[in-house]
Amino acid sequence: MNISAHAPSRARWTVSDIVVVSTLAVASGVIFWGWNLSYHAVSTLFVAYPPTASLVAGMWLFPAVLGALIIRKPGAAIYCEMVAAAVSALLGSQWGLGVLLSGFVQGVGAEVILLIFLYRRFTLDVAVLAGAAAGLAGGINENFIAAYYQYDAAGTAVHITGFAVSGAVIAGVLPWLATRGLAATGVLGPLKSRKAHRERALHR
Amino acid sequence: MTRAHTALAMGTRVIAEEFTYQHADRQQPALSGLDLEIAPGEKVLLAGASGAGKSTLLHALAGVLHNDGADSAGQLLLDGLPPEQARGRAGLMQQDPESQVVLSRIGDDVAFACENLAVPPAEIPARVSGALAAVGLGHLRLDRPSAALSGGQKQRLALAGILAMQPGLLLLDEPTANIDPEGTQQVRDSVIEAVRATSATLLVVEHRLATWVDHVDTLVVLEPGGGVRHRVPAQAIHSDHTLRAELIEAGLWVPDHDPVGSLPPWSPAASFTPSPGLPGGFSSLSTPELLGQVGENTGAAREALLKGRELAVHRRSPRKSWRKAPPPVPVLSGVSISLFPGTAKGITGRNGAGKSTLMLTLGGLLEPHGGVLSAGADLKGDRGAHLPDSPHRWRSADLTSRIGTVFQEPEHQFVRHTVEDELRLSAEQARVPGTQQPLFTGEEVTERVDRLLDRLRLRDLVEANPFTLSGGEKRRLSVGTALAAGPEVLMLDEPTFGQDAHTFTELIGLLREHLDAGGTVLAVTHDREFLHALNAQEYDVTSPPPALPRPSSPFVAELSKDRAAIATRRVESPTTNAEDHQATAGEDQPVPAGTPLLSAVRDISWLGRRGPMAKLIALAFITVALISTIDPVSAAVVAASSFALLPVADIRLLTFLKRIWIFAVAALMAVWGAAIAAEESGRVLVDLGITTISTGSLEMGLALGARAFAIVLPSVLIFSTTDPTDLADALAQQLKLPARFVLGALAAMRLLGLLAEHWTTLGHARRARGLGTRFLSQAFGLLVQAIRMATRLAVTMESRGFRAGPRTWAREASFTRADAAVVLGGFVIAASATAAAIAAGTWNVVWVG
Repeated sequence: MNISAHAPSRARWTVSDIVVVSTLAVASGVIFWGWNLSYHAVSTLFVAYPPTASLVAGMWLFPAVLGALIIRKPGAAIYCEMVAAAVSALLGSQWGLGVLLSGFVQGVGAEVILLIFLYRRFTLDVAVLAGAAAGLAGGINENFIAAYYQYDAAGTAVHITGFAVSGAVIAGVLPWLATRGLAATGVLGPLKSRKAHRERALHR
Repeated sequence: MTRAHTALAMGTRVIAEEFTYQHADRQQPALSGLDLEIAPGEKVLLAGASGAGKSTLLHALAGVLHNDGADSAGQLLLDGLPPEQARGRAGLMQQDPESQVVLSRIGDDVAFACENLAVPPAEIPARVSGALAAVGLGHLRLDRPSAALSGGQKQRLALAGILAMQPGLLLLDEPTANIDPEGTQQVRDSVIEAVRATSATLLVVEHRLATWVDHVDTLVVLEPGGGVRHRVPAQAIHSDHTLRAELIEAGLWVPDHDPVGSLPPWSPAASFTPSPGLPGGFSSLSTPELLGQVGENTGAAREALLKGRELAVHRRSPRKSWRKAPPPVPVLSGVSISLFPGTAKGITGRNGAGKSTLMLTLGGLLEPHGGVLSAGADLKGDRGAHLPDSPHRWRSADLTSRIGTVFQEPEHQFVRHTVEDELRLSAEQARVPGTQQPLFTGEEVTERVDRLLDRLRLRDLVEANPFTLSGGEKRRLSVGTALAAGPEVLMLDEPTFGQDAHTFTELIGLLREHLDAGGTVLAVTHDREFLHALNAQEYDVTSPPPALPRPSSPFVAELSKDRAAIATRRVESPTTNAEDHQATAGEDQPVPAGTPLLSAVRDISWLGRRGPMAKLIALAFITVALISTIDPVSAAVVAASSFALLPVADIRLLTFLKRIWIFAVAALMAVWGAAIAAEESGRVLVDLGITTISTGSLEMGLALGARAFAIVLPSVLIFSTTDPTDLADALAQQLKLPARFVLGALAAMRLLGLLAEHWTTLGHARRARGLGTRFLSQAFGLLVQAIRMATRLAVTMESRGFRAGPRTWAREASFTRADAAVVLGGFVIAASATAAAIAAGTWNVVWVG
């Protein structure tokens, strides 16, 4: 019996991949919920100039990059962000069904970066780019596609930039750190990212 | 017997030939050169020390081992076929009941494997009811939420799911390690009855041999890193002294052997003289007078370290806040309990009675709902004399050096990357009460950690990541972290669940030392041997009738209350017969405050009975109509329609308002945001210097706010009347989304409530460790638990035939005429909103700027 022969191809999702990334998305829903409980006051910090509120919007983007870094298969970013969005929709989201659109657009933002690197690199720089791209996509969606905001040119620029910066940090650096931390705990055993903690932060 | 079982011809023949398996990145093989033959219908108990490859063998036989990078040789055959090709021949049950259930309704859960194996839909109902009857759950309604079952019942439900596949081989991996004695017996009896009825082959792994050994034919002992060490008739365990000695040495629970006998003789409360090398050693905290107070006999003469009088407890905080409903009825009340130095207490009683809640309250992690909880002068210590009486009001940094809490899942307590840092943490976090001054100097911390490392035999693992330790090591470390800051009071929640005899014995040794040093131990436990070994007084929460009348089944009442609150509607009240009472009494972890909880009970309103696909399409129409334009008129039409449709969804106005007001606040933020940051136009109303509020920007803000508010309302209506299971059925069958992904997401969604509980417990654990509130640490802890659960769940799903390929659906999603009416209704609302906006001249399409 040659077990390696049964190992799925690089791109094919195993049952573990599907269930782990789905559960990560659901756990993200719980983290959103915890974030809401703990940080209800955060948004009031931005009352003086609401476009800057996007500086914490990375919180809604982290599932995309986290899912991609852990599963390392095509579609992980979009799927994880969409399921997380669906969970928030079921729990009652501020944007109603529109949250699915947001989830999709943001997931696509992150996915594009991983595709550019052909799903071979999951280093810190790629994670930061993916987070920033998810933020950029999110900013474009919220200002132009779903158009939840209608700021003037300066406000729009601030909002989208804030979104991307927040994405780079909260949805880029943090998921990368989390993936390394998770790999070190050994829980990623059945997944492609199980040695993430022994990988270099940057590619050369 | 039903058709489900008569269909089975016989058990599966299992053959292992020179089977070797080495996990990726491991130095040693888990199994090497294993030769084993198991006859059809043979019942085998598989034993061996921790790490002997028992689980690996079971997973391999179930065909769910395929980590890339692993090495394997030799072969395994089930009736002559490799396990991967013998789909449905073997059913696997693992240890953790939560990950043995896949779907939210018990009927669906049992049908899951049949659907995966593409059993014709017409045949599935008979298989489901037959399997449920075979495990003694036949009396339950098929749409009963699986979450409402006790641990033992979940395992029996898992067994039913396996039996419905009509397997020839049952593989049970410590199926009763995490459940109480009563549940254990029921699971065992169901298994034995099932193999008798089906003549399936049985292979069960278990540390506690007595549970199974008199019910099986053969005992197989595995050699760590090798193959079969012994293969003997099961009865040999009672007579073969060499075998017994060997198994005792391996840490197994051998029948009629008391593992604690290996410890030095102990007489409870004989002396409180702290001896050198004790992990507790409260030298810096306890008063010398403590020693003088020691009596030989009862604790009554001494001052209690912690005293609760007429306590009432509940998971949720009793405090009122703007977001919560009025405080819940306490799950347990009228509890008077005192903890004396040198003595141990055990909280016992049936599942769901609030034992853990009581412990967390006594431990200062939950706020009491009534009564008085007060710490004695000795617990507060000299420097903490001014601390409030109730530990709940202490700072985290003061709590950790006074009350240590050991959680049922050791990983909940782990927050550092190495064993050494983990042990340092609580000692470093501890503060002198009322100040920011560390309680221990750097040298003192190092010394404490050194003593603990030696005492806990973790010296060789100082650099290891706590999460990578074995089960027994994790348990020892979790006790160590609780003791690191020298608390007098030690609380433990089911500390012996799933532990082997070695860890049990070591734990008893540690706790006896803690008692000898004048500490006190309080444990929530079902373990008689544990209570006996510590000479613990028993406090049975079920025997004294609580002071307040309460519903016959507090968990159900609580659950339905929560569900009603979240689902914004009334639900069918759960049936309450005697069996159901038993069925629902299982959860010791009732849903915490405001937990998001997805209902598994189908809504009975008109809208609730409509197909999810239709509702989703209707919702999409309305959402698109709103998103495409920014104008207050279309928003008003949608909002008005939503309110008008409340009766259709059977939602009361007040409930609806309670649910949506928070979104109104968000909408106001949108108004404000646009008012000050949108393009200035029209008359300037307020000049703020760098920016202005103009009539144009204010109008824009109001339009955006109205739209944001309107967009939520129909989705609240739809989602509170839609069950996720039905939605998934529809997405996979009607929208043709890939079934693997839809079902994966659905199975994960069932974990939502459970993960929310983990979140709360992780918060408690951080407070107990002296860390206060740490959002990121809590989030990381949650991710670890989520992935652990997901990995086990994936194994469960795969072992029930879940993979790519053809699949049937027991319940066909259909599209009725009433569903068409829903779609039409959605379209009409969307169209009239747009028409009204055009008529009013406010319609402006977003994308054409």
